[in-house]
Amino acid sequence: MLLDDLLSRRLLVLSGKGGTGKSVVGTALAIAARGRGKRVLLVEVDAPLEAPRYLGAPRTGGREAEVRPGLFTVNLDPAAVMDEYVRRVVRVDVLARRILDSPVYRRFFAAAPGLPELMLLGKIMVFEEARAARFSSRPRYDLILVDAPSTGHGISFLKVPLAASRAAPAGPVGHNARRILALLQDPQRTALVIVAAPEEMAVVEAQELHRAALEELGMRPRALVLNQCHEARFSREQEADILRLAADAAAGRLARGVGLPAALAAARRHVRRRKLTQFYQGRLRRVLPLPMASLPYLFDEDIGPSSIERLARRIEAA
Amino acid sequence: MTAPGGRRGSRALAAALGERRVLVVCGAGGVGKTTTAAALALQAALEGRHVLVCTIDPARRLATSLGLAALGGRPRPLDLSPLGPRGHGALWAMMLDTRRTFDALVERHAPGETARRRILDNRFYRQVSSALAGSHEYMAMEKLLELSADDRFDLVVLDTPPTRHALDFLEAPERLMGFLDTSVLRWFLKPYFVAGRLTLKVATRTGAFALDLADRVLGLQFLQDLSEFFLAFEGMYAGFKQRAEKVHALLRGEDSGFVLVAGPARTTLDEALYFYRRLREKDMPFVGLVVNRVHPDPLAEAGPVPRGAAGVDAALARALLRLMEDQARVARRERRGIARLEDEVSEPLVLVPELEADVHDLRGLKEVGELLLSGGRSPSRRRRPSQLQAQGRG
Repeated sequence: MLLDDLLSRRLLVLSGKGGTGKSVVGTALAIAARGRGKRVLLVEVDAPLEAPRYLGAPRTGGREAEVRPGLFTVNLDPAAVMDEYVRRVVRVDVLARRILDSPVYRRFFAAAPGLPELMLLGKIMVFEEARAARFSSRPRYDLILVDAPSTGHGISFLKVPLAASRAAPAGPVGHNARRILALLQDPQRTALVIVAAPEEMAVVEAQELHRAALEELGMRPRALVLNQCHEARFSREQEADILRLAADAAAGRLARGVGLPAALAAARRHVRRRKLTQFYQGRLRRVLPLPMASLPYLFDEDIGPSSIERLARRIEAA
Repeated sequence: MTAPGGRRGSRALAAALGERRVLVVCGAGGVGKTTTAAALALQAALEGRHVLVCTIDPARRLATSLGLAALGGRPRPLDLSPLGPRGHGALWAMMLDTRRTFDALVERHAPGETARRRILDNRFYRQVSSALAGSHEYMAMEKLLELSADDRFDLVVLDTPPTRHALDFLEAPERLMGFLDTSVLRWFLKPYFVAGRLTLKVATRTGAFALDLADRVLGLQFLQDLSEFFLAFEGMYAGFKQRAEKVHALLRGEDSGFVLVAGPARTTLDEALYFYRRLREKDMPFVGLVVNRVHPDPLAEAGPVPRGAAGVDAALARALLRLMEDQARVARRERRGIARLEDEVSEPLVLVPELEADVHDLRGLKEVGELLLSGGRSPSRRRRPSQLQAQGRG
């Protein structure tokens, strides 16, 4: 259900509080989409590329790399994107080189507020418009996933085209800003996916992002992914037994070398997290009118392909 | 990772809280950076210093962790009396308001009323000052300078946006200096952009050539607006440059220090390491590295164990052991990441265990601060995985 709705878009932008596991969720979402036969591009802009590592693939850079059949990742560096833009617009190699080598250009780009963000979003728009082949009407990617910066900076990041279109009413900058804006604000093509975790601040920021998306960005949130959920692993009776035994400071041995007190402490930590998870699930359902997928906390010794595939199956089932 | 190491790390933090005038707290998103900044500031205040904690993070986190609905752009004194009797210290908190800081800057430094209006009414300025990413870093820099000179505070603790952008903040003075230094500015201030009208009759062929290229890449209208914007600031550049140099010096001085904060997840540890290297490269004063929310290993906590466990049936025993193995795996995952960091960072890390409850009031902040300054709790010692398996089955 949740996945069906998301897969009918072209561009999914993921944001949420830092530490909620946006990259893991983005990668799992990409795998789920791939599982439905979509050609997927996963774009990372905020961090050193995580997705290939989770999938056990070698690091990728500024060029799209096929990390699995039909699944591509790219890591965008704003300065490199700007250089590419200059080369494309100027066309003549000698001239382009002259610009790119000039200290004026370098320093201008480094100091101009908003220009790097605009370039990144422009590049994402170019990916969206790319065709499978010259004269083909088929898009090169069915779905583009953007692992956007975390909430605070994510909102300013997504606000740049709006600001740039107002600051530059005419010329290529304003023109491109308006095209980017049209893509981001088109509810048919673009959806915002909010990532949260069952913690107070992550939930507060999810609400704040939802509000800002609608009121300030003109973007449509379509789904909420609650990551790192602690799911019930004891029955109600067992939980009651655990709390009672802990209150009685029960002693004894659970297995060779394993004391009951340590087990009860571990279980109490779990029960507390499990309750918090349920509490925030309830609160998010009440305050955010969005379909929600809950993903489990990962206890794996390494976060690798099998962890991600497990999450992808959960997204599929949501 | 042993307790004495943690205590040494804590001593470095405590010394910095007692002596420095500026502490910059940096780290990836979601690692408890804001909480750490506020907790350190509170500890310094409880020790008698007059402390301001300022967040430049656009998300309103500090407000939440200080139990305030919203923090204004001005320093606001906090009531520390719920924490009981104390010395003569004081704690203030504020959030950076980019737009207001920029406006205040213009108000203060514009050479006259005409110049002031010309800036404030400029279309570019109206967007740049409030909306564009990047302007936060410039304004944070200006604000830090202003606050560090404010007599009311003898310590400013600055919370920063997540790593990538905190680096922007570090580099903001240099970028601005580079911009103001070179021909970029002179290029924009060339006569053909003057007076809001664009004369394409430029004096030299090189000039015409540059202009033509610029038109293709960015558009003349955009450049004209931009140059209008830069021209409006004429007469203020010397001041900008001077202040940028001051911040640059301030951040490298003995009175400043950087505290890095990470979580136990590999991504955030990697980012902390990256940041640590950058600080070293740039000769910035590093104070310490805090790893928050470290999970305990329940299987390593066993002391002498008596026989028999009444009230636990076989099913519950199995479920409990499975949970402990799961938690132990997480602890091992984290320990590996932390060990990699310890190989490279010269100072001992301060490890803070995952807390029982979310921190969102002064009392909670005080507890966090005490943990930070007492070496955290040393996480349990290593055990071989094979041993765990055997026990799980036994």
